[in-house]
Amino acid sequence: MGEIVFKNIGKSFGDVKVIENLNLTIRDGEFTVLVGASGCGKTTLLRMIAGIGSATSGELFIDGEEISDVPPGKRGIAMVFQNYAIYPTMTVRGNIEYGLKNARVPKAERDRLIREVAETVGLTPYLTRKPSELSGGQRQRVALARAMVKKPKIFLLDEPLSNLDAKLRVAMRTELIELHHRLKTTFVYVTHDQTEAMSMADTIILMESGEIRQQGSPEEIYENPDNVFTARFIGAPPMNVYRMRGRQEFVGYRPESILLSREETRMLYQREARILTREMLGSEIHYKLVLKQDGEEPITIMGKSSQKQFEVDETVYVNVDREHLYFFDGQENRIRDEAGLKECCAMIQGGL
Amino acid sequence: MSNPNMIRKAGQMTGRAAGIALKLFLALIFIFPFYWMISTSFKTYAESEQFPPSLYPHTWTLEGYQTVFEGLELGMYLRNSLIVIVAIIILQMAVSVPAAYAYAVYEFKGAGILFAMVLVAFMIPSQVTFIATYIMFSKMKLLKTFWPQILPFGANAFGIFMMRQHFKQIPAELIESARLDQAGEFNIMIHIMLPTAKSTVVTTCLLSFISHWNAYFWPLVMTNSEEVRPLTIAISKLKDLDLGVVWPTIMAGNALLVVPMLLLFLAASRKIIQSMAYRGMK
Repeated sequence: MGEIVFKNIGKSFGDVKVIENLNLTIRDGEFTVLVGASGCGKTTLLRMIAGIGSATSGELFIDGEEISDVPPGKRGIAMVFQNYAIYPTMTVRGNIEYGLKNARVPKAERDRLIREVAETVGLTPYLTRKPSELSGGQRQRVALARAMVKKPKIFLLDEPLSNLDAKLRVAMRTELIELHHRLKTTFVYVTHDQTEAMSMADTIILMESGEIRQQGSPEEIYENPDNVFTARFIGAPPMNVYRMRGRQEFVGYRPESILLSREETRMLYQREARILTREMLGSEIHYKLVLKQDGEEPITIMGKSSQKQFEVDETVYVNVDREHLYFFDGQENRIRDEAGLKECCAMIQGGL
Repeated sequence: MSNPNMIRKAGQMTGRAAGIALKLFLALIFIFPFYWMISTSFKTYAESEQFPPSLYPHTWTLEGYQTVFEGLELGMYLRNSLIVIVAIIILQMAVSVPAAYAYAVYEFKGAGILFAMVLVAFMIPSQVTFIATYIMFSKMKLLKTFWPQILPFGANAFGIFMMRQHFKQIPAELIESARLDQAGEFNIMIHIMLPTAKSTVVTTCLLSFISHWNAYFWPLVMTNSEEVRPLTIAISKLKDLDLGVVWPTIMAGNALLVVPMLLLFLAASRKIIQSMAYRGMK
């Protein structure tokens, strides 16, 4: 088991309120990713669960038990830090063993557990090495092994991949997903990288300035954003969102929903645009375009397409289907009611 | 090769030569007294009185050393010095490691002021406090024991400062990680933090060792029994041993006092430099 419930949680550092009145349930056994820009409070939440940065107000439950007074070591959790926090003077073996020793696990049992976990993460040949003799990826594995060997009911991971190079990062991503499938325990993973969040999560919790903007599966978050923030955060490149001319409302569409054409089409959204840049990425091309609108500030959008025939500086039509258009109200929240949508579609047709 | 290039190269060479010469000169200034001490200690009395002095002993003799060993109970004084120093170092470690850990890791009310007081204590010369200390120990009737040489040095402000600076460089995650590993604070201090501070510990111990090995004024004032006096005071008595000043004897005594220190320092010099140099965290 490993369900985590935040109830009216608040946190201040001195006079600065970072989190106010936050309610959140992290479901047992899921891979939950807390994602947001730096300073949004995601690491603060993680540290609360760990017990190394307690909440200023509110209650925190693990499996229904209020744990504010339970010391970090007794919470049944393990944490992997961004800088790994490996004990520099101990060998790999010593690092993995330290927590077990403190928990007074008998020697024979410790040896068995260490062998097992070292085998799993591929550290067996390195057990007698010091951390300074290991590569970044290997240190990462030590941190993972140290967490795994405690058999916690909750894994906390604070940007564990951000110090690795790109290739290794992708490989470790897959390994972590596999690890989660095998262990089936609760994983809480903090990152600022939406790709990581999308690729690993069962549930994404998207945060901004101490508040939860949206919580849902990667599909939900991608296909059904609740607000402008979510729409602009998720996706690479993110959704094009801009305010309709002279109006409070926003229109948005994903770069991959765009159809470029030299002739007019019959799609609902159709704008003339000039191609500013063209990035060839192999299977697809990223176009940066500026919409042709009279007056007001120029609006630049991104397009992601497998159509290769367009050149820089060419003027083309940007077309988007009705079903791929998203509308948001003046408070940046999604417009979902029929009447509102109809009104917005009319505005789009009117060329706003 | 073009001409300006050669000129520049020649300029660089002269610069380097000048640098080496300067360093040699400085080294000579520092080394010469030691050399003079050692060479005089092997001279005969007559040669040591010669003018102009001889640069090295023309007749080598161990007379100076013989006199020292015969005239003084070196064993007892050496034992006293060691008892005092070892006790001081143990006490200092027991005090300064936890103090430094607390100052570096915990945030508590008054931490800044308390730490400032530690630093101020570091700056007060012992000449200011010795009378009060003397009276105190005399009232406690401890002047014939080792305590007046040990207790006043139990807290080493310099050591606390050095170790605090070291502990402050250790990332907080290391401590947090240990707490998650169910380690208590004492456990963290001893098994996680202290091992990272090896060179700082060696340096503070060594500096302590040197300063107390060389201590003269304090033990002279604070003791009134030969039974507890250290080597330095014994060596100073050498000038009263024979009639008048016998340089080879005095130098032999000094050499015996200094050489162990020099060897110790050379052995640990790398650690000392390590602990003094700035270390960026990776």
